Amino acid sequence: MLKIEKLVKRYNGGDPVLKDLDLEVGGQEVVSIIGSSGAGKSTLLRCINRLVEPTSGTITLNGTDLTQLKKSELRLARRRIGMVFQSFNLVDRLTVMENVQSGRLGYISTWAALTRRYPKEDIRRAYELMERVGIAHYANKRADELSGGERQRVGVVRALMQQPEILLADEPTASLDPKTSEQIMALLRDLANELELPVIINIHNVTEAKQYTDRIVGMRYGRIIFDDVPDALDAAAMDEIYAGVPAEDRAAQGAAA
Amino acid sequence: MSDFPDTWRKPPFIRNTLLRRGLWLAILAYVVFTMATLPIDWERVSAGMGRAARIFSGAFPPSFARADLLIDGFMESLKIALLATVAGVALSIPIAFCAARNIAPRPVYYLGRATIIIARSFHPVIVAIIFVKAVGFGPFAGVLTLTVYSIGFVAKLLAERIEEIDFGQVEAMRSAGAPFFSTLIYAIAPQILARQVGLSIYQLDSNLRASAVVGLVGAGGIGATLANAFGRYDYDFALAITMVIVGVILVSEAVSGIIREKLA
Amino acid sequence: MNNPAALDHWSRFTPKQRIKRYAVLLATLLVVAWALQSIDVIWEWVWDSPAQMADLFGRMVPPDPQNLPSILQAMWETVNIATIATLFAVILSLPVAYIAARNTTPNVVTLWIGRFILVSSRSVNTIIWALLFVAIFGPGIIAGIVAIMFRSIGFMGKLLGEAIEEIDTRPVEALQASGATRFKVVLYAIVPQVMPTFFAVSILRWDINLRESTVLGLVGAGGIGIILQGAIDTFNWPEVSTILLAILAFVILGEVVSMYLRKRIL
Repeated sequence: MLKIEKLVKRYNGGDPVLKDLDLEVGGQEVVSIIGSSGAGKSTLLRCINRLVEPTSGTITLNGTDLTQLKKSELRLARRRIGMVFQSFNLVDRLTVMENVQSGRLGYISTWAALTRRYPKEDIRRAYELMERVGIAHYANKRADELSGGERQRVGVVRALMQQPEILLADEPTASLDPKTSEQIMALLRDLANELELPVIINIHNVTEAKQYTDRIVGMRYGRIIFDDVPDALDAAAMDEIYAGVPAEDRAAQGAAA
Repeated sequence: MSDFPDTWRKPPFIRNTLLRRGLWLAILAYVVFTMATLPIDWERVSAGMGRAARIFSGAFPPSFARADLLIDGFMESLKIALLATVAGVALSIPIAFCAARNIAPRPVYYLGRATIIIARSFHPVIVAIIFVKAVGFGPFAGVLTLTVYSIGFVAKLLAERIEEIDFGQVEAMRSAGAPFFSTLIYAIAPQILARQVGLSIYQLDSNLRASAVVGLVGAGGIGATLANAFGRYDYDFALAITMVIVGVILVSEAVSGIIREKLA
Repeated sequence: MNNPAALDHWSRFTPKQRIKRYAVLLATLLVVAWALQSIDVIWEWVWDSPAQMADLFGRMVPPDPQNLPSILQAMWETVNIATIATLFAVILSLPVAYIAARNTTPNVVTLWIGRFILVSSRSVNTIIWALLFVAIFGPGIIAGIVAIMFRSIGFMGKLLGEAIEEIDTRPVEALQASGATRFKVVLYAIVPQVMPTFFAVSILRWDINLRESTVLGLVGAGGIGIILQGAIDTFNWPEVSTILLAILAFVILGEVVSMYLRKRIL
């Protein structure tokens, strides 16, 4: 269970990118975060595993306050958080198996990592997961020989190899064609159900968000302004999240505050 | 449980097992054998630490007392580098054309390539020794040496550039009836000029470095000053000279980098 | 109709550009003229030089193969010096490149230490290093090996450092997010990306070192240089040309080998 309280992120004394954010994600939900560019979706996700350092606020994952951890503790905690990236972020020159096993680097010994002698458990699990997502026959191929959709599957398997308690996906389908995009979204939804894993997905394709996720969180200028089931996302809500003029908006906020 | 495999090895770079093992064995054997048979006087080596300490203490602080000698030597190196670059670049152009497969007829091509290979294969110090014996001590030998050095480098890269040009432009000129030299100037020269200038500036920098060294064997320049200092155990002067050499190289490298960037 | 006479003149450069180009040309000519005029050269000797060179060449032909066995032995020793020294330098240049790269160096101090090591190593010519090490370790191949090592570390460290600075950082981010230690992140995300450059640079430096090690003997640091110096000092020109031919053969062989290796590995 992930609990974010009063999260603020400010870069160099400018306007905060995330303003006093509260969010709770429970046991098995697939949550999508939507919003226009600059709304703070990516920053929010990266604050969770502290790839971006929060300015203030707390983030608790199953009882551990991630914001208070020191470097070495943070490293251990990150093993519990899996992440899938828009650009796949694979090591191109390594094989699919090595890329997948690199998700276990937080667990295996340095010698095993160096010599590529992975634990039997890990190898078996890797084959199992790769078979499940449909890339088992690529195990010995170099990552850059695969198509975009296949590469993202490798990214997903790598994240799942960590046996994480939560999965974060930062615009996982933005670099894919529509058909492949839907395949990946379906995959994430199915895996979340099979593995009983909470998933948070940043996404800009609202149709896919409605179709493949259980709950939609809408962000605008660093705040959460919508948090409900997909069916509740009507045109009015969409307008609020995506349209509007900055000056007008700020004036309205000032009046409310 | 499941029937998934639980072992995995990364496909090795060299597929053929025999070849791979054989190669590792050969490398190991080579290293062990050479290290064992190389004539090393280990006592001298351990004594070296003490000598190193004495030399370094003698070298600090660097002595600029004979700065005039330093400056003379440096100026001479500079002149050698300048003249050698001009001569070398000038000669490189015809040689490069002779060594370009798309321009030169077969026998000329081989001759050109052979010239470049010979010019490149000998370290400038060796070339310097030969020239010193041929034309006497002094900067003239240095200029000749670095001219050969420049040709080896500039002509080779220029020839490669010529081989890469867009031949369509040459064909267009020829089909319009242009004579040989006009074709050269209009179709070929513009394509290689940029590279040529960049190479020349790089070579000036290279020659400046090398001119510091050819003096060690009597071909003029600051190398001679350095060799003298070492020979007379004037380590503090030697350090001063070395610092100047390093400083000049750094400045020259920076300047040549800036100029080449502006040209690009 | 407009004045047609205005259109019968075309020049590639504006007057200002032309002045700049002429100025550069003039400056170059002036510098060359100054160098020619002030250089300490006896011009009679210069005009005499073609005859002198022809004379020397005549004495070098035909090459005398009498001492070929010892010459080849010395060449083999030279090759070994180059190879062993390059091997050690390759290993040592890795940590230096790591700390000299802005994106992998632990802190600013290590960055400057790394940069300093690279700059001083690169700027001092191999043969000058050899002079120093002959003074320290005495004449012999140790001085030569260490000299080549010192110079090579700077060469390779600089190119490797630049390769490290140019890597794709996205896999680095991904592995950091999964909780891997610094070392494992380097091993999996950085090393594979710089491998091609690493091999290319190592092979290139070995090729260059082959040439450099031929002259180490001239300052007493081992290899064929000693025999060459001996032959020159005794005016044994036919033997000198044998030695030069041997050097030529080995260097060309080295280039063939390095070109082959580069093609196979990359």
